[in-house]
Amino acid sequence: MPNYALEPVARAICARAGYDFGGGIAEGSFKETYLATRPDGVTLAVKVLKAGCSPERTDREIDAMKRCSHPNIGSFLELSAIEHASVTYGYLVEAFLAGGTLEDRLRSGLLDDADTLALGDALIGAVVHIAAQGLVHRDFKPANVMFPAPEAPAVVVDFGIVRDLQKTSITKSYLGMGPGTPFFASPEQLNNEKALIDWRTDQFAVGVTLSVARFGFHPYEEPGENVAQVIARVAGRKGPAARFREACAKAKLSVIERMIAAWPAERVRTPEALLSMWQQQREKK
Amino acid sequence: MPAFHQIGHDSENLLFEAELARFGGAILSPLNYTPEEVKAQVVRLKDRLGFVTVLDPHLYRPQSDRLCLPSWSYYPKDVDTADLGSGTWWAGLVDAVAASAVDVGPTAVCSPAIVPKVFSEDFYLDLVNNGNRLEAALRGTQVSPMLTVVVNLPELSALDRVMSIASIVSRCRTQDCLLVMVSTAEPRRELADPEELKGVMRLIATLEGGGQHVTVGFSSSDMILWKAAGATNCATGKFFNLRRFTLSRFDEPGGGGGQLEYWAEESLLAFLRQSDLLRIQARELLSDASKANPYKDPILSGIPDKKRWLALGWRQFMYWFAETEYRLSTGAVSAEELIRTADDNWAKVEAAAPPLFMEERQNDGSWVRQWRRALAEFPYFR
Repeated sequence: MPNYALEPVARAICARAGYDFGGGIAEGSFKETYLATRPDGVTLAVKVLKAGCSPERTDREIDAMKRCSHPNIGSFLELSAIEHASVTYGYLVEAFLAGGTLEDRLRSGLLDDADTLALGDALIGAVVHIAAQGLVHRDFKPANVMFPAPEAPAVVVDFGIVRDLQKTSITKSYLGMGPGTPFFASPEQLNNEKALIDWRTDQFAVGVTLSVARFGFHPYEEPGENVAQVIARVAGRKGPAARFREACAKAKLSVIERMIAAWPAERVRTPEALLSMWQQQREKK
Repeated sequence: MPAFHQIGHDSENLLFEAELARFGGAILSPLNYTPEEVKAQVVRLKDRLGFVTVLDPHLYRPQSDRLCLPSWSYYPKDVDTADLGSGTWWAGLVDAVAASAVDVGPTAVCSPAIVPKVFSEDFYLDLVNNGNRLEAALRGTQVSPMLTVVVNLPELSALDRVMSIASIVSRCRTQDCLLVMVSTAEPRRELADPEELKGVMRLIATLEGGGQHVTVGFSSSDMILWKAAGATNCATGKFFNLRRFTLSRFDEPGGGGGQLEYWAEESLLAFLRQSDLLRIQARELLSDASKANPYKDPILSGIPDKKRWLALGWRQFMYWFAETEYRLSTGAVSAEELIRTADDNWAKVEAAAPPLFMEERQNDGSWVRQWRRALAEFPYFR
């Protein structure tokens, strides 16, 4: 159960801005998200940043969001701060994406061919744009893929652990694992191989997300394996499971197989090439 | 696709020999020639249709024997005192190399690289930064960028190391790269560690698989393995029949090296001294490739004029190199076939009656077995 400890702060933000407070909707390591409604009826997501939680990461998240401008990437409407009980909290106001997350959507069933291709279009489009800014999102996963409306194209959100390749890494080298959501993370993230992190790290996570959305399992997941075993297989670069290869061949989605290769060097080398390969695959289907 | 001629000391004349016309490219040497001389070479070579010229700034060990390097405007005046770890220093150098290349006008120019003390990931990240900067500096010009990738051969026996390097290097925006292998091989010794060979082959195959074109520099008869791994081009020079890219090469006296006469023999994939050549010939073990080599008769008729054989021997090797590269590229022969044949022939040499001992104890064909092993096992080295 989420612990919405910052609800009083969110309420204060809403009161100051004249929004109707709508309650908590998500809680993460660095922030809590609340629903709010503007006087003109537009629904908003108010993201309150936890005090003392890596200001460097927060700065990089905001900087990354400012640099990205793409229809498949979430953007914020306002960035500000509020003092509450003698503590200053930063917060972001974004348009609320009413279509829910991909994670929500997958609870009611896997995507079909057409929806998988549309999801790939959106996620790869977002990856290409993020890569062009010299950024690595590092947290592509169904929970961070949202839909503004039920039929609208997907939008990528949450730049909380974004890596700016032009800046010094914040992650300590001595850590066994780098930041990310383990089940969707690439081997280089799981092994904290910082020199290997680049846009192909996101390519891997998008590949895993597409596999989960279309086939219902992680590419490296052998039947009967639990999450920890799958993560260990990815970290150990054991390669994808036979059933995943078969599923890709059957669905004519061989590009995904390339996207989840264990080493970045074996994935698609450039964002433009990935986009082109995905589009060619779409035309062949 | 074609073999490249890596120009060395006093080897400009070989560029224009009719018998060596199979070479489809040349790696130009600012170490041995001034900008004016290289510019003249480029102008002459432009007459050849499709001929590729590559300028290698040759800063592998900038404090080494400078020869003609100081005559190049990119050559840093502060090379002995500069902080070679400074990104700003390298940025200035890359821009200067790009400017020199545009002035000289080759088809491509390599990014500057040193041979480091430690081949760390930071080193490879810096190489990529230099490659990307060179690519940016050359946009809108007629000169293509080529990333120089310097690898430490002994490290490549570990697959993880190979794939880490490939993962960093493949990040570079340049489409082409020049692979330089630093080895500890002694002069006149073949690369013979199968794990290292497999590592190099995996590196080449991975980069090529990702769409980067690999030119293997400083190669010798091991070119057969690099071609089998998918290398786009292999480069050699007249001295690379005998020696590899080692740090000690920078400490050798100027005026070139490899002043010993050898014969490149395909049937054994070996370099033979005079007496060995005559005995191999007598046992009818000379390959068809050797018999068809236009330098065969001048050498055999000129023995024992060592100076003449030395000059002809370089040519005999280079002719074999370019022709064999061509035969491998066109599928006229396979690496497996060449190496298996050599292995079989070494077995015949061992079993020969009367016995057939090579003049040099270590010229025993042992590397051929290791090459055969590397070739067979390389597809499973993943």
